Amino acid sequence: MRATLTYWKYELIRTLRDRRFFLLTLGMPVIFYFVFINQQGGALRIAGTFWSHYFMVSMASFGVVGSSINTLGVRLAAERQSGWVRYLRTTPLSSFGYAIAKILTQLTLSLLIILCIFLVAHFSQNVSLSGGEWLTITLWLWIGSLPFAALGVFIGLTGNAAQPLGTLMYLVASMLGGLWTPIQALPSVMQTIAKWTPTYHYAHPAWRILAGQSIQASDILVLLGWTLLFLIGSVALQRRIDTKVQM
Amino acid sequence: MSTVIEMENVSKVFGKKRAVHSMSFAMERGHSVALLGPNGAGKTTSIAMMLGLTKPTSGRVCLFSGDPKSATSHERIGVMLQEVSVPPRLSVRETIDMFRGFYPKPLPTDRLLQVSGLTEDQKTMAQKLSGGKMRRLQFALALAGDPDVLFLDEPTVGMDVASRRTFWDEVRSFLRAGKTLMLTTHDLQEADMLADRIVVMQNGAVIADAPPESIKMQFGGRTVSFVAGPDIDFERLRMLPDVTDVQTVGRQVTVRTQNSDALLKTLILEAWDIRDIQVHGGGLEDAFVRLTAEGGESQ
Ligand SMILES: Nc1ncnc2c1ncn2[C@@H]1O[C@H](COP(=O)(O)OP(=O)(O)OP(=O)(O)O)[C@@H](O)[C@H]1O
Ligand SMILES: [Mg+2]
Repeated sequence: MRATLTYWKYELIRTLRDRRFFLLTLGMPVIFYFVFINQQGGALRIAGTFWSHYFMVSMASFGVVGSSINTLGVRLAAERQSGWVRYLRTTPLSSFGYAIAKILTQLTLSLLIILCIFLVAHFSQNVSLSGGEWLTITLWLWIGSLPFAALGVFIGLTGNAAQPLGTLMYLVASMLGGLWTPIQALPSVMQTIAKWTPTYHYAHPAWRILAGQSIQASDILVLLGWTLLFLIGSVALQRRIDTKVQM
Repeated sequence: MSTVIEMENVSKVFGKKRAVHSMSFAMERGHSVALLGPNGAGKTTSIAMMLGLTKPTSGRVCLFSGDPKSATSHERIGVMLQEVSVPPRLSVRETIDMFRGFYPKPLPTDRLLQVSGLTEDQKTMAQKLSGGKMRRLQFALALAGDPDVLFLDEPTVGMDVASRRTFWDEVRSFLRAGKTLMLTTHDLQEADMLADRIVVMQNGAVIADAPPESIKMQFGGRTVSFVAGPDIDFERLRMLPDVTDVQTVGRQVTVRTQNSDALLKTLILEAWDIRDIQVHGGGLEDAFVRLTAEGGESQ
């Protein structure tokens, strides 16, 4: 426990010094928010709410997905390749403790990103919700980010492919899931595709809360399905790596 | 005395490559063992199995009589591995502090900085350290938890002369405190001075396991060299008891023997036609070269 908490603390220190994290992972959604709100006007009505509210959720989701893939996934791959993870295994920090520390780090960063985007939206576009709505949306986006942590782990196991694969997944999943352009504005084929993406089902419940609706079980089910898939994929990759080492 | 490491008939196979072959080995507390062997002998693989980093293909490995993977047993050990880099965006001091945070009773940070000679570099980003200083940082990390047992895999690679000397001094004072050391190195002189037991590996197998003195006696022997006059009888020289080898370069003759005293007596009493006699003790390096050459032939 001591070792896990220590590692968590230093992971956060390292992230706060990471310019890439601020410029890309946090910076991109913030900039997109300003650009797209200005294009359309925040007062536009969409899916039972305003564009400024709707797109706030989109960008918070985009940021969380980005940090799961880039910060968690790509960093994990680098730490494995440099022999650092192997070295840590000689210390009292167990593999399990290391995984917990990584997840705690990811949850902390996700919360930070969500709150940042909400603050930006609140102060720049006067987005205001009831206390209960702020809380449920925050909690949903926070807890709902776990499937992407699993995706991050999967990407972290792909070695050299992590960086290109991560960037590709990050952009494609965000675009197809309707985080950039709402799926209502897309052709019906794209809408059908979107309904299979984890990103859509991650943002969808938060959009519904904005419109005064409740979270649907179908969103949770699809996300659980994806989580399972990412976990199975991770285990399979780990197995392959293990047998490769045995060869 | 308690057993620190126990390996029973351990083998490790990578595909078709047999990296370690039926290795049995035990190490008691308070000892210092130097694991020697040519590149690719299986030293790193053996250490990786002792630490629970690599699973043996067959056989049994125990660390503190338990599972080498258990995190609690890792509270009592410190490790320097070959080929590790530290994570980015942490200073030397922070990296050390992070490691200290893993252990129940860490040594003070300033002490670790001083032991590794990094006090002046404590604010430098750890990843930007030069190769030798990186090695020294890893030494500080290995000592961070005030370990009972140190595992050092080729610790001095990349260190300059002065840091090497400080490093070995620190290891010596670690040993004086009654602690345990498992070392691999290609610096045989240091292995000789530090270790009370030498284990030589070759092609995955242990080919010698004894105190340095007896390895030197058994495989190093002594050499007696002299300048030979015209009347010398090389045939007889080769036949003398305990003589294992005779080399000549011009008139300069080098005789290798297990018993230099007896050889010298014979040469003097029988008034052999020789002058400029010199006797050399076979060092560990000498023994090592002969040992691994013999091992190579028998493979
Ligand atoms: N992960 C691996 N996959 C395949 N072969 C390996 C692996 N690790 C080690 N080997 C092989 O096992 C043998 C023993 O390697 P090891 O690293 O234990 O040698 P070593 O004695 O530490 O050598 P050095 O002095 O160069 O450090 C070598 O032939 C090496 O190529
Ligand atoms: Mg090695």
